[in-house]
Amino acid sequence: MDELVLELRGIGKRFPGVIALQGIDLEVRAHEILGLVGENGAGKSTLMKILIGLERPDAGQILLRGRPVTLDGPDAAIHHGIGMVFQEGCMIPNLSVLDNLFLCHEDPFSRLGFLSTARMAERARAQLAVVGLSDVDPRRQMSELSPARKQMVEVARLLWLSELYGVQNPVLILDEPTTVLQEGEVKILFSILDELKKRASIIFISHRLEEVVQHSDRVYVLKDGAHVGTLERSSPGTAVAEVPRVVQLMVGHELSAEHYRESMQGAPREEVVLRVRRLRKEKAFRDFSLELRAGEIVGLVGLLGSGKEEVCRCLTGAARPDAGTIEMAGRRVRFASPKDAIAVGVGCIPIDRRSDGLATSLDVADNVNLLVLRRLLYGPFLDPRREQENAEHWVRECLVKTPSLRTICANLSGGNQQKLVIAKWLAAQVRVLVLDHPTRGIDVGAKDEIYARIRTLAASGMSLLIMCDTLEEDIGLSDRLMVMKDGAVVREIACAPHHKPTPVEVVSYVV
Amino acid sequence: MKRSRLVQPLTISFVLLVALVAVFTLGNPSFLSQYNVTSVLNAVTILLAVGLGQVCVILTGGIDLSVGSIMSLVSVVLMMTVGRLGPGAYPVVALIGLLSGLLNGLIVSKLKIPSFIATLGTQGVLVSVAYLLSPGPLTAAENLYGVLDFVNGHVGPIQATWIISAGMLAIYYLMQRFTPLGRQIIYIGANERMSWLAGLDIDRARILAFAFSGFGAAVAGMVLSATLYSGYPTMGLPYVLNSIAVVVVGGTAMTGGAGGVVNTVVGALIMGVIQNGLTVIGVDAYGQQVFLGILVIIAVALTFDRAKVAIIK
Repeated sequence: MDELVLELRGIGKRFPGVIALQGIDLEVRAHEILGLVGENGAGKSTLMKILIGLERPDAGQILLRGRPVTLDGPDAAIHHGIGMVFQEGCMIPNLSVLDNLFLCHEDPFSRLGFLSTARMAERARAQLAVVGLSDVDPRRQMSELSPARKQMVEVARLLWLSELYGVQNPVLILDEPTTVLQEGEVKILFSILDELKKRASIIFISHRLEEVVQHSDRVYVLKDGAHVGTLERSSPGTAVAEVPRVVQLMVGHELSAEHYRESMQGAPREEVVLRVRRLRKEKAFRDFSLELRAGEIVGLVGLLGSGKEEVCRCLTGAARPDAGTIEMAGRRVRFASPKDAIAVGVGCIPIDRRSDGLATSLDVADNVNLLVLRRLLYGPFLDPRREQENAEHWVRECLVKTPSLRTICANLSGGNQQKLVIAKWLAAQVRVLVLDHPTRGIDVGAKDEIYARIRTLAASGMSLLIMCDTLEEDIGLSDRLMVMKDGAVVREIACAPHHKPTPVEVVSYVV
Repeated sequence: MKRSRLVQPLTISFVLLVALVAVFTLGNPSFLSQYNVTSVLNAVTILLAVGLGQVCVILTGGIDLSVGSIMSLVSVVLMMTVGRLGPGAYPVVALIGLLSGLLNGLIVSKLKIPSFIATLGTQGVLVSVAYLLSPGPLTAAENLYGVLDFVNGHVGPIQATWIISAGMLAIYYLMQRFTPLGRQIIYIGANERMSWLAGLDIDRARILAFAFSGFGAAVAGMVLSATLYSGYPTMGLPYVLNSIAVVVVGGTAMTGGAGGVVNTVVGALIMGVIQNGLTVIGVDAYGQQVFLGILVIIAVALTFDRAKVAIIK
C-alpha cells in the first residue's frame, strides 16, 4: 500500500521575476488518490506542468519508482506513465472517439503502414468499458459526448498509453474534473476513480474542498509556491480532514493588520463614480449591480468560474454584457472595446502582465508612454523631450527600479514589471482601475509597495475594483467585499479597518 | 539577454555590409569606382523604397506579398499614362500604390485573415489587372524620355535617385520614430493583445501600415520602370523576395516589434552591394538567387522571436 510511485525532491522553478515553486517535496503512492489544493497562483499548475514534461524544473529531482528521471517533454511523461486530463479537455472535437483514444500512438494497429480500424474499434470498446463507457460507440464524434464522458475518454486514453508502454500503476492527473460536471456525474466520476485506484495513482486537483477531503486518501496543500502541509486520512471511510482545517493551511495565518497597510485605509467618499445596474452575460453572471464610490476599494471574491472574471472583462470593455447598464460619473456608457472604457477613464491591470500588460520586448519608456502618446506631441510629431519627461515622472512616482528608461522590460523583476503596468495606467489618469491579481508572483517587498500604492490611489479619490490571489489579501485591502458564486453576488461584506472578517467566515459564502 | 538580442542584429548587419564591401573590392578593385558606386546606389533606391514599405507591415508581425505586383502594375500604368499626363503620371501611380495598400489593410483587419493569405490574394488580382491593361511589355516613346529622366538625371554631382532615397528615408523615419502611428505599429508587433487591451486602434494602425507599404512599392515601381523606360506585368516579381530580404537582412524580426527603418537602410545597402558585387566578381543571376535565398534564411533564423510562436508552421 505504501509503495512510492513518484517522488519529487526539492523541486524549484522560477520564471523571469517570479518564483513559481520552491523546495517542493511530493510523494505519490501506489493505489491512492492524492488531493492537491492551493489558491490560484499557489503553483499547482506549474507543478503539474513539470510532471507532464511541459516545464522543466530549475532545481530538484524527480524519481519514478525509485529511479531518477528527466521529463523533458510530454512524450517522456507518457512513456513513464504520467498523464493529465486537462480542465478544458484537450481532445480533438471533430474526430471520432476512437481516433482520439489512440491519437498519435496508432502503431500497434498498423500492418505494413496501414491502420486496421476494425481492430482499433474492438480495442477501443474494451478500453472504454474500463472507464464505464461501454455504451459509447467508438466511432461517434468526440463533440457529441458530454463533458463527463469526454473526461473519461481521456482517462481511458491515459490508461491505454500506460499499457502500451508497459507501465504498471500509472499516475493520472485530473485538473478540476468536477467543475464541468453535473451532480450525478460527479458521483459516477468518483466511483470510477475509486475503481481505477486499484491499478493507478490519481492526483486530483480541485477547488471544491468538500470533494477533496471526502474522496482523497491524502491532501497536499500548496501556498505561494511552497508545500505547507499534507493531511492524511486517520481511519478508513472518513474524510481526510475538516474543510476549515484545509482552508487554514491554504490561506495561512499571517493576518496581521498592518500587512495590508490597513492603517492607511480611509473612508470612501460620497460621490459614486461607477454605477452598474443588473449587468448580465449569458453563461457567466447575472444581476450584477455595483455602486463604486470615489476612493473606494471593492474586492470581488469567488471561485474560478464564479463569474467575477467576466464581470471585470465587461467593466473594462474586453467583453460585452448581454443586458444591464453601466454609468460613469452619471453618464450612460457602452464599451465596444477596451478603447471605449479607457476613453471614459476605466483602466485594467491584467492578471498576466507578461502577455496582457506589457510589451516585454520593448523598453521602459515605450511601455509607460503607450497610453498617452497623444499628450506627448509637438505638432504632429512626438516630442522626445516630453516622452522622456513623462516616462521619468511616472517611473519615479511608482518607484520602478530600472537601470534606465531604455531598459527592455523583460529584464525587470516581476515586482518592477507590475509597478510599470501601474505607472502606465496612472499616466493615463484613469478614475476607475480594475486590478486583476495585482500581486501575483511578486516578492514580499514589492507586494508591500503595491499595497501602499493601492492605498494612496484610493486616498487620491481613485476607485478600485480588485481580485486578489488570496482571500486574506482581498479582505485586507478592500473596504467592501462582494462575494460571487455561480454567476451571482451572494453576499456583500463590509471590511472597515480593524473590523475585518476572517477568511474562514468569508469562505463559507464562497463555496 | 533579450536586450542584447535586440541590439545585435543591426550591429551584425553593419559588420556584414563592411565585410561585403571589403570582399568585393578585393575580388575586383573597380567595385569602388565612381561609376560602380553610382550604379549600386541606383539599385539601392528601388530596394530601399520597397523595403521601407515592407518593414512597416513586418513590424506589425505581418507580411506584404503584394509589393511586387504593385510595382508591376505601377510600371504598366506609368507607361500608359505618362504620354498624356506628363509628370502628372507620378502622383497617379503613387495613389494606385497607396490604394492597393489600403485595400490590403482593410482585407486583413476587417475580414480578420492572416496578411500572408490576404496579400497573396491581392497579389494575384493586381498582376491580373496589369495583364488586362497590357499583356506585353510597354516601352516609352523616345519623346517621353525627358519626363522619365526626372529619375535618371542628376543635380550637379547628386543623382536624382539619391534625392528620392533621401526623401523616402525622411518620410519613413519621421513616421516611425516621431509619430504615434510609428509607435503603434511597433506596439502591435510586440504584443497585439496588450495593445488592444490598452485601447489602441489596431485596425487603423494596421491599415495605415499597409498603405505605407503600398506607397513604398509604388515609388520603387516608378523608379524601376522609369530607369528602364518600360513596364510589364512581371517587372516587380523579384521584389517580393527582395523586399523581405532587405528587411530581414537589416535585422528586423519577422515576428514583428523589433527593428525598423534604420535596419532597413542597412539591409537595402547590403542587398544592393550583394547583387552588384556578385555580378562584378562574375557570379551569374542564377547563382545570385542561391546566395540570396540562403542569406534570407540565415537572417530570419537569427532574428525570429521563437518565444512568440508556440508552434513553427
